Amino acid sequence: MKNADIIVVGAGHAGIEAAMASSGLGLSTLLITTNLDRIGYMSCNPSIGGLAKGHMVRELDVLGGHMGFAADQTCIQYKRLNSSKGPAVRGTRVQNDKKLYNQHMTQLLNSQPNLKVVQGDVKRLILQNQVCCGVETQDGSKIFSTSVIITAGTFLNGVMHVGLQQSPGGRVGDLASVGLSDQLKDHGFVVRRLKTGTPPRLLKDTIDWSKTVAQYGDESLFPFSLKSSRHFNLPQVACYLSRTNEQTHDIIRRNLDKSPMYCGIIEGTGPRYCPSIEDKISRFADRDSHQTFLEPEGLNSDLIYLQGISTSLPEEVQYDFLKTIPGLENVVMARPGYAVEYDFIEPTQIWHTLETRTISNLFLAGQINGTSGYEEAASQGFVAGINAAHKILNKEKFILGRDQAYIGVLIDDLVTKGTREPYRMFTSRAEHRLILREDNALDRLSPVSQNLKLLGSDSLEVMQDLSTRRAQQKVYLKQTKIFPTQSIQAELVKRGLVQMSKSLTLEEFLRRTDVSPALLLDLGFVIDSDPLVSEAVEIDVKYMGYVRRQHELIQQAKKFEDLLLPQDFDYGSVRGLSKEEVDKLSSVLPRTLGQAQRISGVNPSAIQAIMISLKSYSSKESHHGRRTGPTSSSDQLASPDLV
Amino acid sequence: MNYGGDRDSATICAVSTPAGFGGISVIRLSGLNTLKIFRQVFKNLPIHPESHKAYFGQLTDPGSGSALDQVVATYFAKDKSFTGDETIEISCHGNPLICDEIMKALVDSGASTAMPGEFTYRSFMNQKLDLIQAESVLSLIESRSHKSANLAYRQLMGGLSEKIEAIENQMTWCLAHIEASIDFSTEGLETTSQDELIKKLSHSKSEIDEILKTYKKGRLVRDGIQIALLGQPNVGKSSLLNLLLDFDRSIVSIVAGTTRDVVSDETIFEGQRLIFLDTAGIRTHSNDEIENMGIKRSFEESKRADRIFYIFDMSQGLTDQDNRLLSSLDLKKVTLVGNKKDLVSSEKLDETLKYIHAKAAARQLQVIFTSTVDKNSREELLKHVVFQLVNERSSDNEVLLANSRHYECLKQASSLIQQSVQSLVDGTGAEFVSLELKEALMRLQDMLGKRYDDQVMDRVFKEFCVGK
Repeated sequence: MKNADIIVVGAGHAGIEAAMASSGLGLSTLLITTNLDRIGYMSCNPSIGGLAKGHMVRELDVLGGHMGFAADQTCIQYKRLNSSKGPAVRGTRVQNDKKLYNQHMTQLLNSQPNLKVVQGDVKRLILQNQVCCGVETQDGSKIFSTSVIITAGTFLNGVMHVGLQQSPGGRVGDLASVGLSDQLKDHGFVVRRLKTGTPPRLLKDTIDWSKTVAQYGDESLFPFSLKSSRHFNLPQVACYLSRTNEQTHDIIRRNLDKSPMYCGIIEGTGPRYCPSIEDKISRFADRDSHQTFLEPEGLNSDLIYLQGISTSLPEEVQYDFLKTIPGLENVVMARPGYAVEYDFIEPTQIWHTLETRTISNLFLAGQINGTSGYEEAASQGFVAGINAAHKILNKEKFILGRDQAYIGVLIDDLVTKGTREPYRMFTSRAEHRLILREDNALDRLSPVSQNLKLLGSDSLEVMQDLSTRRAQQKVYLKQTKIFPTQSIQAELVKRGLVQMSKSLTLEEFLRRTDVSPALLLDLGFVIDSDPLVSEAVEIDVKYMGYVRRQHELIQQAKKFEDLLLPQDFDYGSVRGLSKEEVDKLSSVLPRTLGQAQRISGVNPSAIQAIMISLKSYSSKESHHGRRTGPTSSSDQLASPDLV
Repeated sequence: MNYGGDRDSATICAVSTPAGFGGISVIRLSGLNTLKIFRQVFKNLPIHPESHKAYFGQLTDPGSGSALDQVVATYFAKDKSFTGDETIEISCHGNPLICDEIMKALVDSGASTAMPGEFTYRSFMNQKLDLIQAESVLSLIESRSHKSANLAYRQLMGGLSEKIEAIENQMTWCLAHIEASIDFSTEGLETTSQDELIKKLSHSKSEIDEILKTYKKGRLVRDGIQIALLGQPNVGKSSLLNLLLDFDRSIVSIVAGTTRDVVSDETIFEGQRLIFLDTAGIRTHSNDEIENMGIKRSFEESKRADRIFYIFDMSQGLTDQDNRLLSSLDLKKVTLVGNKKDLVSSEKLDETLKYIHAKAAARQLQVIFTSTVDKNSREELLKHVVFQLVNERSSDNEVLLANSRHYECLKQASSLIQQSVQSLVDGTGAEFVSLELKEALMRLQDMLGKRYDDQVMDRVFKEFCVGK
């Protein structure tokens, strides 16, 4: 009767990674999307990566995900952000050809073994005793599977707003999914509303480019993917900068009563980090100008994405204010900006595996969990796909630590803290950010990746080669000495550098801020000139002190991270917890004491109280001769269905 | 201390006033079953007692039904009491026997005897107090002097916490600016300049350093000033001690070397606790082994003391032996005390004083002349030492650091801020500066017993117009 092992609902960035991961692990996977033409569609900005997001794309790539390679292949502008800052917070961002990205992903899915993609509108889940075993579509047909992964994006009860007009839908041109979230609500899920917005799309030929400032990308490419070549696949283009002014702001201010956000029509919370232009002007009234980037949606596209100006004002008001922006005096919109309101499931109701707590074999990934961003979605899709597959294959849970990957931080934050606004990753969310760098993603994750066995053999080879060369280079630097000989000193003087006072190992010498691997190469040492080797090694050497300190902090946190909390622990019986704390702890059911600590509103005194209670709990348990739970963090304890 | 676990469900009681006879004693009963237990021994409580209201009545033994005492019981509702749990404070007659009987009656009715500090522990667990406040309750209870009680009280009222929170706030502001400059570098934000950050952080550091400087004084206020009395045998150290203490403590005899061991005792002067260490007189060539051991200890004690009174006999002047001994002391701590002023004949007095002043000035020492028959000597000496160590620049609202854990936290925070400032100056990446600052913040939060949460991001969104 079963039609597939795993059903994935939705073919956005989460759905793609989920379906690719589960089928890649050999499980028959059925992907159902409402629109076969919009696979991996970039509904908002035509770009991938950015700070912290770029980190996640690289992590995904090392683990065997697909977003990075697609982004490289369709890149029309490449930029390394924060290149003037320290190495841990440099992030890659690319502009993409939206159409080509969609084509790339469509082909990828179509050529994947074990995976079938069909068009359909999922209306309900088929449940048996709180176990999900398939879906029912709009036309009434039932499709059975062992597990279901929902990646519905902004489509659950989606409502679009332009001015005071509303229409159902999760994206222009696509219908909303109605039914699913009500069914989940009926099963006790807390469902809330979020809001997001998108800016107007402009016709390229109606813009006076001479009034804008061209912004070019970088010339040297460090692709996301191990698979990608180091050369641009497509011609590179510029983005253009312009700014709003007082006149723009006046028009917007005068029309705030026509904004659905401001007259109370939209109840959902919007992202604080991605405010609409209405928001920016009201909240930061003292600023007389805001920047906006004009980003091409593709090499052959006539559309321009107006980054930074998302709005839900009526179309005519959008025209009025756009025309005050230099370069846009005669602009024609292909599509006005609009806001979307949609349902999300409070993510404290899912486990770290992204399986829901209430319904077994049901996994949620992407915006349905309250996140925003393609990269956040893809990361969750990947994790859900693997966990759904591993559960069927009876393999261990796939949970990345906060000290291992941004993906680990993302999921731990979601299931621990929940969210009240669309969640976006920032580098500052990662307390161990110094060791979660783009350059060392492969060092951090290669053992995990080799276990997962999803990485293609070509990528695996590149990864192993880079790892070996980095290791060799480090050994060489440690073992080779540099002496303050006349010729060396002369070379240093020639470059205006301070002379050496004594002989050093190359490693010690490289720790000097003014010494680079390139200099070592010039001085005649054997340096791997591939920046993927030399840069990573240099960072490790130069920042060794900080990295070591970061590791110490991780060790300190470890005693809490390793202390597992029983899932049947009764927080109501712990004395000294406030009602709010009991509620929060009981709904999050933290895996570890470390996670409990991160729940907002749970005070340090509560952690102490739990620790004390835990002692009496485990002594009671051992009196009864029962297992008190495993002691390692690579556990099997997290969800009760396996215990 | 073994609080927590099953213990937390117990209703605890203790006599909260000091043992002994007095006008009244107070017994505190607090926990989940306070009312249930109390009703068994006290019938005059209405069905719904009002918080902070006192009820008069007879307290009876639950077993025999015999009357124990007439008491006033004050009721504190849940969340409105010191512990946060339902509490009754029983004011009974101040007789230890009555207290014992009442305690027994309460225990017979189901209460448990509280462990030391358990009320405060519960108060902390119920989030009625932060860590600094909880610690000050303990020091308030343990306070041995008026000044130290005052210090503990100020901390309990949140004086120190407030100051630390203000610093924390300032640092969070800096961190928010640094984080914003990292995570929103493409937004065209105007974050604060490097110079401004350095200025602000240096300011935070100097504020912390100011508090750190009060530690020594805070300890002195909390624990008392230790003063060693040192000098050659028979210059009158023990007599002076008796004078300082205002009662006879040391055995006084005219035989040199009577005091064999270090004798210590204390007094309160102007609300400040003073602990005196009377030491064996120091002779360089004593044949008495026990006395020699005593001399050795005298030196050790003097090293530990906050102040040394070096006492000499004015009628003998400062001898070579005195000079040798003085040379082996930390002179910054020494006050010269010329004793037996009354034994100097009036015609020689001026000359003697002049001579001693000159000697003292040569070593930059202060000198005070005393006589054990002159009652003013006590006040003069004590005023001198209290002024020197505690009263200088003192105000009653000053925040003083008196707890070694707080000292440790602040010390680390200060050095981490210093490092972060250095990193800023060196142009090290913002993420490294941020790590140091976060650690510094963690130390402050450790001190307050709270943890670092999402404050920084909240701050960023409040301060900056960010939007991708």
